[in-house]
Amino acid sequence: MRERFLTGYNDFVLPFMIGMVFILTYCIIALIRIIGQLPKEDRRRFFISLITPKTLAKNIKDIFCDCLLHVKIWKRNKLLGYMHSSIAFGWFMLIVVGHIEVLLYTPHRAKLFYYPIFFRYFVAETETTMKGAVLFFLMDFFLLVVLSGIALAIIKRIRSKIFGMRRTTNPSFLDLVGLYSLWSIFPLRLLAEGFTADISGGSFLTKSLNYVFTSFLSDHANMLPSWWAYSCALGIFFCVLPFTRYMHIPSEILLIPLRNAGIKIRHARKGLAKAQVYSCPSCGLCIDACPMSVQKGNIKDTTVYLNRQIRRGNEVRIEEISDKCLLCGKCTAICPVGVEGDKLRIAQRSVRKYGLSPDYSSIDTASLAIDSRGKILYYAGCMTALTPSIRKAMESLLKKAGVEYELMDKDGGICCGRPMWMAGRFDQAKQMVEKNTGIIRNSGADTLLLSCPICYRIFKERYSLEGIRIVHHTEFIDSLISEGRLKIKRDPRKYVYHDPCELGRGSGIYEQPRNVLLRAGTLVEAAKNRKESICCGGSVGSLSLSFDKRKALTENALNNLTAASPDVIVTACPLCLSTFSRYADRKVEDIAETIDRNTSN
Amino acid sequence: MTMENIFGFSISPSSTVNLDNVDLTLFNRLHELEPDAWKCMSCGSCTATCPAGNFSGMSLRKVLHALQRGKEKDAVKMLRCCMLCGKCSMVCPRGINTRHLILSICKLYKED
Amino acid sequence: MKDNIVIVGGGIAGMEAARQLLKLGYNPIIVEKSDRLGGHVAQWHCLFPDMTPAKDVVSSLIEATGRANIFLNTEISFMNRLKDSYNIMLTNGVSVIAKVVLVTTGFSVFDAGKKEEYGYGVYDQVMTNSDLEHWFNDGNDDRIDGSEMNAIGFVHCVGSRDEKARNPQCSKVCCITAVKQAIEIKKRFPDAMVYCFYMDLRMFGKKYEDFYIAAQRDYGVRFIRGRVSEVSENIEGKVIVKAEDTLAGKPVKVTLDLLVLMAGMVCNPDCSTLAGMVSLQTDSDGFFKSRDNIADITSSSRDGIYYAGACTGPKTVPETLAEARSAALEIHSYINRL
Repeated sequence: MRERFLTGYNDFVLPFMIGMVFILTYCIIALIRIIGQLPKEDRRRFFISLITPKTLAKNIKDIFCDCLLHVKIWKRNKLLGYMHSSIAFGWFMLIVVGHIEVLLYTPHRAKLFYYPIFFRYFVAETETTMKGAVLFFLMDFFLLVVLSGIALAIIKRIRSKIFGMRRTTNPSFLDLVGLYSLWSIFPLRLLAEGFTADISGGSFLTKSLNYVFTSFLSDHANMLPSWWAYSCALGIFFCVLPFTRYMHIPSEILLIPLRNAGIKIRHARKGLAKAQVYSCPSCGLCIDACPMSVQKGNIKDTTVYLNRQIRRGNEVRIEEISDKCLLCGKCTAICPVGVEGDKLRIAQRSVRKYGLSPDYSSIDTASLAIDSRGKILYYAGCMTALTPSIRKAMESLLKKAGVEYELMDKDGGICCGRPMWMAGRFDQAKQMVEKNTGIIRNSGADTLLLSCPICYRIFKERYSLEGIRIVHHTEFIDSLISEGRLKIKRDPRKYVYHDPCELGRGSGIYEQPRNVLLRAGTLVEAAKNRKESICCGGSVGSLSLSFDKRKALTENALNNLTAASPDVIVTACPLCLSTFSRYADRKVEDIAETIDRNTSN
Repeated sequence: MTMENIFGFSISPSSTVNLDNVDLTLFNRLHELEPDAWKCMSCGSCTATCPAGNFSGMSLRKVLHALQRGKEKDAVKMLRCCMLCGKCSMVCPRGINTRHLILSICKLYKED
Repeated sequence: MKDNIVIVGGGIAGMEAARQLLKLGYNPIIVEKSDRLGGHVAQWHCLFPDMTPAKDVVSSLIEATGRANIFLNTEISFMNRLKDSYNIMLTNGVSVIAKVVLVTTGFSVFDAGKKEEYGYGVYDQVMTNSDLEHWFNDGNDDRIDGSEMNAIGFVHCVGSRDEKARNPQCSKVCCITAVKQAIEIKKRFPDAMVYCFYMDLRMFGKKYEDFYIAAQRDYGVRFIRGRVSEVSENIEGKVIVKAEDTLAGKPVKVTLDLLVLMAGMVCNPDCSTLAGMVSLQTDSDGFFKSRDNIADITSSSRDGIYYAGACTGPKTVPETLAEARSAALEIHSYINRL
């Protein structure tokens, strides 16, 4: 291989170089700003994680799997997965192999940024380079891979249904510019390399194209314009990138180490929140996932649009979107890049200015004092007071199993603080947490039993009750059965289990309730379950969604649950129970009721 | 010296609600934020179920009623005990979005 | 040949209409899905405000409709419109051609178990207004017989005026029924405290207000303006009711030996089945929609189909009977017009 030009330079590299310098500068500044915005301890944590071999290895693995191979999308839909990984991984390999070529044949040009990109223009093939055929083949092969991905992307624009997506996002104007420039990069590269292949050499793709071209275009006059076009497409793409959804490509590389360092969102717009917002690829998977999207009017309130509005700084819409959300966490569970839609919204809520702030210092907890040494303390929760069937069944089960217990909120207690936390009013929530912690600590109990998943989540996440076992009744019933303290008999009914948001996605409890139900009867599954279970619509997470607007959500969730025509819908949350019973056409009950009916002793 | 100190008891202004003079500008803004603000029929369900009411006499029904009659001070003070647990929204027979109503009040009104 | 008139539902509305139609020389055919005539009223004890025994009303109607064709345990399996009549197939295999169909499907009692917070079906000492009427009739209910009755509570508006129960409308008769039942209970247990928890008392009918005054003055029933929002159970199995005494502005709590839920009137689920057969309109509350709610309450939007009684909304017994008579007259003039 020999060089065709002594200078190793042509003007057509300029658009690419301008784009490249711009995007690199932009990214470096953004990187410094985001890291600078992290609270001090988080920043320290982040740097330490970068030099810890374990997290470092995980970072590399995650970046490879998520950014290049898009493993999460593969799991969702094979075609969609192939589309993403062919473009990302193919392009990555083109860059890698391009660099190998430069290092092998023209090592003195390695410091030129553009050289690996436009390598074919600057070199001519000589007899001795036949051993490079493997590299030539690889380059053409990966180009083909990328082109196939682009072809799929074009089909997806027209018919998203075959990719398992009912709805996708509406791209903004700049997104479209980015999209079209991205689509044109690779066909233009093929064209440019095709024109050049008789000089520079090529493989099955470029070489064959060259034969076609030379048959009706005799000279090399078309060569330079096509290289210019290729460079311009790259330049335009890089220049608009920060203002389009494609910003997710560099952002994700930062987001992964931040996440692996265990950093949490601490500010609505800065640090991790910012990294997440910019990492959103606007793929729109969250639209179909969002339980609110059964109503067309709510589609623009999904996480992808929240991210877009945060990037635009549209405060009115940010407030609307973040207040409306049910905080079911499903968008977070399915997001391929790891945007935490629910936490992001709670953070937005936390920056609201209120003229009035609750203060609970005057609440006297003396009347709530309880002695439950050596016993179980049962905190049924506010909502359970309105679904007495749960508490009654649970008390009956405790008696049957011979468990000694005391009720912590027999006559009403202090709220666990989770609803307040969801409203973004952390200081008030912490006050409640403190009050309850005091009551529990003073009671001397070693186990705290809860019936409401909303309570359960905050007790697990925000209370410091070391030494006290915190259990939801699903877990507790499961352990009572496996210890043989409850004798359970089967009935002929067909049960379906609804995973409450706060218990399933929120606290990761999926198996215990199913274990329990399997012994009580036949267990069937909902069309979408576990991590993808659909919120009942009754969530206290939403601040603005009114009662009448929730009906459609509940009906949709019920349709999902009754797909396998169960006799009974079983849930483990008082709020789901009362919401579902309002509209269900069959019996809805709490898991405690099911088991109470199926146990004697 | 205030009147209170002279006579040893306070002379409170007339307790009549004069509907002619009630200033509802703020309440109308609240009504824009939460259209359900005029929907309450004062059944008292919210108050009876309220966990904060146990400790403090907090009553959403009273808060809303007081605001509708222009007696902001009483209302606003009471709302300081709300724990936002959402029980009131569960029991309200009129389906009022009580949590949104409470947060909207917190946003619009100020404590003096 | 006498004209056939199919009456769907053998409650008081259906029977009263049949009686009038017989007098006018028609052949009414009553189709009743249960095994007896009289509908809900046949199960009540006595009627407000004069404490008329319900069985007197029902039995005189049954006597008067003796000559009508009556199919018990039968429903409409399908119905379709012919030129100016209807072809009706019954579940017992009989098929009828009738110029007029009178719908008197009535109402259903709200399933009190749906208001979970009141604990019906969960707590032992909670019953509904219909359960109480049964007890008045046959004196047999463990909830009352087994315990001492020192304090009894009535909860108004259970499943009515309640968007959460999907019934925003007022059931009209529960207020006065609660007053009637409170008085009856007080007669049986003179020493018991009887409380009525209400949101608004709607004493709209003739002599209702007198009845209410009597309950307050002569029987000492305590009326508390506040909707019950929570019911719990104590260790002895008594129920503890929480409400706000909105007039005092204070939460109230009371321990009761018996809690009676005044379950409201909701649309009969058969409404929608029937409506589907000949595309009749139903209202947002699920009841049938009259052609006009003021001037033409007994007519449907379809020719030859008429309504009477609680199938178009909650009604009292005298209102139902009056409507049945008026429907009979409307039907008579419709057939003469044909």
